[in-house]
Amino acid sequence: MGFYKFLLSRVISFVLVVFIGITTVFFVPRFMPSDPVEAMIGKMTANQAFMEPEAIITLRETLNESFGLEGSIWDQYVGFVKRVIVTQDFGPSLASYPNPVNELIAKALPWTMGLLLVSTIIAWLIGNVVGLLAGFLKDKSYSKAMEAVSIMIYPIPYYILALVLIMLLSYIYPIFPLSATFQGEGFSWEHIKSVVYNSILPALSMILVGTGWWVISMKTLSSGIAEEDYVQFARLKGLSERKIMTKYVLPNAALPQVTMLALQIGTIFNGALITEILFGYPGIGTLIYTGILQADYNLIMGTITLSIIAVAMATFIVDFLYPFIDPRVRYK
Amino acid sequence: MKRLTVLFVMMALIITACSNNNNSNDDKGSASETGKNNTATETKDGNDSGDSKSSGKMTDVGTPRSETLIVDILGGRSPDPDRYNPYVPGAVAMDAGVHQLMFSNLWEIDTQKGTQIPDLAATFPEALDGTNTKFSFKVQEGLTWSDGQPFTAHDVEFTAKMITDSKELGYNGYFTNLIKSMKATDDYTIEVETVNPETRLAQKLGVVIWGNTFRVMPKHIWEKEDPATFKFSNPIGVGPYKLKDRDPQGNWFLWEKREDWQKSDIGKLVGEPGPKYILFKFFGPEEKRIIAMIQHDMDILQDITPESWDVLRQKNEYAQAWYKDFPYATMDDPCERGMSFNTAKEPYDNPDVRWALALMTDIKNVSMATFGGMLRVSPIQLPPIKVLQDNYHKPMLGWLKDFALEDGYKPFDESYAEGIVDMLKQQGVEGLPTDSNAIKDTFGVGWWKFDPAEAAKLLEKNGFKKDGDKWLMPDGKPWTMTINAPANFEVQSMRLAFAVADSWRKQGIDVNVQQMEGASFWDSESTGAFQIGSYWPACGLLPDTTANMTGWHQKYIVPIGEQAPGNRNRWANDRVSTLLDELDALPSDDPKVIQNITEINKEFVKGMPFIPMFGTSKFVPVDTYYWDGFQTSENAFEGPWWWWSQFKFYTPHLKSTGR
Repeated sequence: MGFYKFLLSRVISFVLVVFIGITTVFFVPRFMPSDPVEAMIGKMTANQAFMEPEAIITLRETLNESFGLEGSIWDQYVGFVKRVIVTQDFGPSLASYPNPVNELIAKALPWTMGLLLVSTIIAWLIGNVVGLLAGFLKDKSYSKAMEAVSIMIYPIPYYILALVLIMLLSYIYPIFPLSATFQGEGFSWEHIKSVVYNSILPALSMILVGTGWWVISMKTLSSGIAEEDYVQFARLKGLSERKIMTKYVLPNAALPQVTMLALQIGTIFNGALITEILFGYPGIGTLIYTGILQADYNLIMGTITLSIIAVAMATFIVDFLYPFIDPRVRYK
Repeated sequence: MKRLTVLFVMMALIITACSNNNNSNDDKGSASETGKNNTATETKDGNDSGDSKSSGKMTDVGTPRSETLIVDILGGRSPDPDRYNPYVPGAVAMDAGVHQLMFSNLWEIDTQKGTQIPDLAATFPEALDGTNTKFSFKVQEGLTWSDGQPFTAHDVEFTAKMITDSKELGYNGYFTNLIKSMKATDDYTIEVETVNPETRLAQKLGVVIWGNTFRVMPKHIWEKEDPATFKFSNPIGVGPYKLKDRDPQGNWFLWEKREDWQKSDIGKLVGEPGPKYILFKFFGPEEKRIIAMIQHDMDILQDITPESWDVLRQKNEYAQAWYKDFPYATMDDPCERGMSFNTAKEPYDNPDVRWALALMTDIKNVSMATFGGMLRVSPIQLPPIKVLQDNYHKPMLGWLKDFALEDGYKPFDESYAEGIVDMLKQQGVEGLPTDSNAIKDTFGVGWWKFDPAEAAKLLEKNGFKKDGDKWLMPDGKPWTMTINAPANFEVQSMRLAFAVADSWRKQGIDVNVQQMEGASFWDSESTGAFQIGSYWPACGLLPDTTANMTGWHQKYIVPIGEQAPGNRNRWANDRVSTLLDELDALPSDDPKVIQNITEINKEFVKGMPFIPMFGTSKFVPVDTYYWDGFQTSENAFEGPWWWWSQFKFYTPHLKSTGR
């Protein structure tokens, strides 16, 4: 019974979070001092500097009609909620009209998922191993060295680190390409090879930054746990240090790290804005950036709604799975 | 985001500048093969000369580098590389080679002479009667689409009918108001009937600046499609290149010279294009684009900052800007920059206040702070490009010198150009012009005096008071103002806003610069949600700038809060409106056109709804390592407008260096 009650409460909170989230996402862009039609006209007139006022009036009318921006905000909101719930359709992108937002997201998502999932998991694994060693074997010189490197890299702003990598590995030692050029298509070997080759530098930059945080947090957790009574007791029992580290310290220190990993995987759907811009990598971050710059309501709503659902879902899954990971936690 | 961008650029420039890796001299920086032979980078061969062996080098899209011209994409990544329907607004990135190489216009422009020239049309519209509503023109004979089908007047007729019949197309309203009918009377003759009397049909259907929205589509393909949904994914045109390949992500587009290039517009009108392939490629943020050119992986760059140009010319001896020496940048871009007033808002509804701000502008220091002095001033409502300087700026000099404010004060300062040259000399700048005429041609005919005392007189006359160092408004409150500025685009206008704000702050006004992203920036101007904006409502290229001035008619003024179709400064001037009405009825070549526009300019000087400051300086360098024959100030067959539809006219001039 406790489980069903727990499940119901979590489902209700999930639905509420998503509903409030998409409502906010609908209204916030409309309160911005910008208008997608005006942005498009501004761009056209800035380029051409030749469009008569009458032309602008008629163009504005046509665009408003095409973009579905006619009617009151309330009408638009009701239409939006219906579309999202019933057909999961976010309408056409206004900046890339008439491409459907769903199509743009579907194109960008695999790139973002591929890059961020891989780099997040690699960073998590490396960071936790190094952090565990640094926290448990804190007197060893290699532990100190690894910790020092992590602490040095972690505070560097991501964009600086990424830029330094580009300078080092694309310019001074041009091992990796300056901009991504993907060869081949689909699941061909040529394409896979090309994607991997072009993704190494952006992934490396994310792994370097991500690893630092995991090292520091794991080190703090494991060094604290290493001082716990039950760990001391295990030592007194004569268990090997390796066994103590892997069987006593790691499982306990890993719990919050697993939680954080699940939440970070949820945020993957936000994309990696700076990475995508700096490395010319296609993904959700670029879409969000374009949406905001061009006041593309539908694109903003589509990408942010996806992100809200992903984070809420990740939280829901973590809540649901936690009792399986930690026996001390019960469905209450 | 702006700070991030600035940081990116600064970091890149610092690291690039500090690096000893001078690729232009020894190619070391781009030296290594990456395990595959399909990169565009140089192969390290130990040869210290820039003439390193490079035969057989391939671009990263698989074409021989020596046959491929690589061009930056001004607008960046294309959101939909499969869509080439130019009539559905939004998704087509025209500046990725689409309108530069493939699509063609009826009439193009020669920006050096300031005249329209035939392209797909063979003649200019001739009026068929005295009503100015019926015209006839011929189209070129012997041209074909890139799929081999002949291009005829029937394609023009079909395109016009398609636009006017399809309400879903973005320009439907515009064309419906302009064109009543367009008929092909034979394969090469078009008769046009307009809705209202027209005196500038070629300007409306042809290129004046950048391109035109009337792009002729192939009837044999489009007649089977719904124009509102057709993607035109395998596009064709009458231009000299055809699309060979594209990046599914929209970062590059590869164009190949047509085998039957003789049957393209350029083949007939100019000659054979030089490059076999033209690759339009987006490398990313500015620092990466600069690195690409340092590594000879980019031949033409679009719109970079002066600081980046400084790095580039030091690191790549083959890099070349418009001028060989200072000021390097081309100054003939057809829009000028300055401070635009919302004249519907106090105190900017008062011409004395606007004039006071002009006289509080320390224009030489503003020029230095904006683009290191590499700018040409303009005192009138027209960009100071050569054609317009010859027609307006120089002929108006006498009037400008005699012009006096109400109190008899003469604000014009003819010595600006000499003054800025002295200032630049003191800063150690070399290669400056020495001849008096050349100095004026380079830096402008003159501007307004920097005279805070006269500005104070004008303000005090209108109830402003000075409290210590600060100006108070007539109601006794401190004078505060906000200047709207672009955030991550139009770098000259962005910097100009900060420089002007600094100048006005020094005079005791509390000035805030509000940087805005594109959508907010344009929306604020249109709805009148601004006091002062670093906008550019003064463009022109032909001597007849009527088309660019029409929007200043007072009939387009709408209340603040409503989207303005024109006259975004909401400046009402009876005489300007009357002169515009007169211009509308005059043919473009009527001598009275120049007179009327000159009179309009005088009204603008008196009313100052926009303080024109500088023409736009563009740093659009080229790399002459692989390709040569580019236009420069010494080889000025055209301006360096790589993002305009006329690019195709440059291609026959470009020759491989053989490297």
